[in-house]
Amino acid sequence: MTESLYKVITKEELSQFGYALRETGTIYAPVKTSKESHSFKQVDTLTEADLEYHRTMIPPKKFFISPKETIFTFNKEKEEYNETPAVNEPLVLFGVHPCDINALNLLAKVYLESFTDKYYSERRENTTIIGISCTPDEYCFCKSTGTDYAREGFELFLHDIGDRYLVRVGSLKGYNLLQKHASLFREVTEEDLSLYRQAEKKRLASFTKSLEMSGLQDMLDMSYNSPIWEEYGEKCLCCGSCNLVCPRCRCYDVQDYIDLNLNTGQRERKWYSCMLKEHGLVAGGHNFRATSAERLRNRVNCKGSLKEDMTNCVGCGRCSAYCPAGIDYVEILQKIRGDIE
Amino acid sequence: MSKPKLGIFSLTGCGGDQLQILNMEDQLLDLVSRFDIVDFQEGSSRKVDGDIDIAFVEGTVSTEHDLKKLKEIRARSNVLIALGNCAIEGCIQSMRNGETTLSERLKDVYGVEEGFFDAKLSKPITEYVDVEFSIPGCPVEKEETLRGITSLLHGDSPPYYSYPVCVECKLNEYPCVIVEEGKPCLGPLIRAGCNARCPSLGLDCIGCRGPVEGAENFAAEYQMLLDKGYTKQDIMNRLRVFCGELGDDFLGGGDDE
Ligand code: SF4
Ligand code: SF4
Ligand code: SF4
Ligand code: SF4
Repeated sequence: MTESLYKVITKEELSQFGYALRETGTIYAPVKTSKESHSFKQVDTLTEADLEYHRTMIPPKKFFISPKETIFTFNKEKEEYNETPAVNEPLVLFGVHPCDINALNLLAKVYLESFTDKYYSERRENTTIIGISCTPDEYCFCKSTGTDYAREGFELFLHDIGDRYLVRVGSLKGYNLLQKHASLFREVTEEDLSLYRQAEKKRLASFTKSLEMSGLQDMLDMSYNSPIWEEYGEKCLCCGSCNLVCPRCRCYDVQDYIDLNLNTGQRERKWYSCMLKEHGLVAGGHNFRATSAERLRNRVNCKGSLKEDMTNCVGCGRCSAYCPAGIDYVEILQKIRGDIE
Repeated sequence: MSKPKLGIFSLTGCGGDQLQILNMEDQLLDLVSRFDIVDFQEGSSRKVDGDIDIAFVEGTVSTEHDLKKLKEIRARSNVLIALGNCAIEGCIQSMRNGETTLSERLKDVYGVEEGFFDAKLSKPITEYVDVEFSIPGCPVEKEETLRGITSLLHGDSPPYYSYPVCVECKLNEYPCVIVEEGKPCLGPLIRAGCNARCPSLGLDCIGCRGPVEGAENFAAEYQMLLDKGYTKQDIMNRLRVFCGELGDDFLGGGDDE
């Protein structure tokens, strides 16, 4: 008999597993930080984490491409150039949702395929991802985008089936982790399987938000001149939040700074957003997307377009949940579809 | 090569921007050693006439004397930089422009309608002269000012923030006080560069760095705050403090004087 890639761990034993994982790396898990927000923060034990969370405001992307960082420093006189090391310590990201795992898989294609971003690749190498199942809230629509299930891009995945988790293996690293801590896990029983079936059924039935994807790309393509862009552009505050909280956005800005000695300095990069006016500004002062309506159209087209058989959007609901103007991304696309007026 | 001549001037204001330069204690000696300082009221009694390579001017034009001084500085200077929000947008001193006239204010405060010294309606220096660059803030940020001066020494334009405070909230993972608490935050309209200091403390941005260049979203912010139950008066009072008459402009407010 081949060994099963499914195991079970009780909720009680999970905290022990969390404790044991400290050997693997520094643990980051979702922690409640305010009324509406969670954040992946360093924890000593899993009791500090809120594993029933809906979403973090800032996605786990932050561990691979930092919101802001110095990529190198230089010294002109000494003709020295020093790259900032990408990795300081191995990390364990505990409790990552399927939408975010899928978002990281797609980001990896952008950052690793044609030109390898050494930060992304080294950091991913040094990170252990433990996924966890979730219950959707009023903003989640990952079922529509086909990203409510993670096939790959994690080491282990925990499905909450009541007083225990069904554990799925996603990588060799994950398999080795199970082997290392074998005493905490047991084989799957018929009862566990039946609990998994029920949990999945319940979860799938609890989605309240949905977006029909079929044909959406074509409708978007043909809606370039739609009045919808003006309608929402007028409400938009051009604050950039929607992009900065998106697990699939990958735009960044790079700037060089020189110190007062005019000899040493550094290059910094930070996340950027196409909802900001300068995103479309080019030499000579021309702006490809000078108005908020044009920028909104660009954003929705970028997120709404198909990539690797998935949309660029993983249905996490962040852009709608954290828009200070209350602009709902799904509502815009439902209007594009003609599903609502 | 001789050192560039630098002048730091004040018109009407609190003097806080000059003070911020003095507050750069760790870099101050290094900084001043790279220039020939021809005027720096808060730092030295030395004053030298003649051409200036780089002039910083803080404060508003609030008297005829200010205006004369400003025009003289402009005529002497190769590069003129508006330092702080008084110089750029008029700041607190201009907050009632468009709402009350100068003579109404003189009457309320001094009991005379005119002829009180040579007072003028407070306006930013940008109303009267061209400026090459500006460094915003009330007061200016030390780091940003230093980067601005360093860039000029190096022959570059000073870096500036073309995006709003919200970006810094997100980069720092500060919860949004509009989304979470419905507070009347002006962050979406206001130039970043403060590292979202107020939202980091759970406070709504009151706009002390002035509006993002070419902000096209006043109407959206206004509507969003109305929808949250704030009154027109609440919102306009808030906008007026640091956004000068820009808030009035989009709502078609009346002119002054
Ligand atoms: S576009 Fe919105 S819903 Fe889609 S992945 Fe980005 S933040 Fe999530
Ligand atoms: S273009 Fe806009 S929507 Fe697309 S990745 Fe960049 S910031 Fe995100
Ligand atoms: S978060 Fe909302 S208000 Fe801000 S840029 Fe995006 S759509 Fe516009
Ligand atoms: S707290 Fe204010 S500045 Fe920060 S994201 Fe929200 S609206 Fe923008």
